[in-house]
Amino acid sequence: MSSLDLADGSTLALDKDGFLADFNQWSPAAAQALAQLEGLALSEAHWQVIHLQRQFYATFELAPAMRPLVKFIAQQAGPELGNSLRLNQLFPGSPAKLSARLAGLPKPNNCL
Amino acid sequence: MSTTLHILSHSPFSDLRLSSCLRVLNADDALLLCGDAVLALQADTAHSAALELMPDSIGLFVLAEDLAARSFIDTVPARIRIVDYQAFVDLTLAFDKVNSWT
Amino acid sequence: MMSKAILLVSRHAPTDGSSARELLDIALAGGAFDLPISLLLLDDGVLQLAPHDFSLLQQKNLSANLQALALFGVEQIYAAERSLCERGLNTLNSTLPVQRLDDAAVSQLYRQHDVVITL
Repeated sequence: MSSLDLADGSTLALDKDGFLADFNQWSPAAAQALAQLEGLALSEAHWQVIHLQRQFYATFELAPAMRPLVKFIAQQAGPELGNSLRLNQLFPGSPAKLSARLAGLPKPNNCL
Repeated sequence: MSTTLHILSHSPFSDLRLSSCLRVLNADDALLLCGDAVLALQADTAHSAALELMPDSIGLFVLAEDLAARSFIDTVPARIRIVDYQAFVDLTLAFDKVNSWT
Repeated sequence: MMSKAILLVSRHAPTDGSSARELLDIALAGGAFDLPISLLLLDDGVLQLAPHDFSLLQQKNLSANLQALALFGVEQIYAAERSLCERGLNTLNSTLPVQRLDDAAVSQLYRQHDVVITL
């Protein structure tokens, strides 16, 4: 995969792992398109996590592993959203990686 | 509380490893010099003087092969024990942990 | 069983090759696995507390990454007072919460940990 087609007809470049090539090119429409590829319908809680992922990356310039992501979300939005069970429901399989991808972050360089 | 064998392999004349290590050493720790760290034993240098001043409780060792390769260092202070690879391995087991100043 | 207490000693400036970055990666990875990790900035390692222009250095922002340590569970961060003073950084107001240690406290730190990794 090398590009992502958005609903408005524009395309965005992806890296070889399907992550957005440029963090700054991200838009909610990009998240929608990526979610569609994953067969994921985005709820309000999904969007909250996606925006917190972007905030994490903008602050620390790295993509979080699961543990720090949970901690960060709990700090920013409370423990109801910031717990691994909830994140697993929202982003099944690999929540940190999947939500990072929808948020337009580069692929986390470790798979922790 | 645990003891440490510190291992140095860089020349004390080009960086701070030896100086910092000597400050960090606790009373029952030890220091092994190998590679260019052996240069610290050169007579009439500040480094060999500093080593001679270390408390007796601190073990000071040098790897025989690396010392021999720098044959211009023909005498080492009596305080320093010369060890071969086997004794080096034994040393790593005699302390709770090993810290390489890479 | 209690995990072994790990002391990571970072001795290089951010501008001096990749050692500072590599040690930070060890800290972040260990923290993500919930290992009990302490970080000591020693010698040129204390320069990691001083501001740099990482875009000019064409590398990732190490200062920003260091701020993430607490979220990765690494909360024991120390700097050698002597190293700071030697480099004229004794009045540095770092945004990273570090405890400054004198020589004796640095030695003590080595004693208190089961494993030491120096980069």
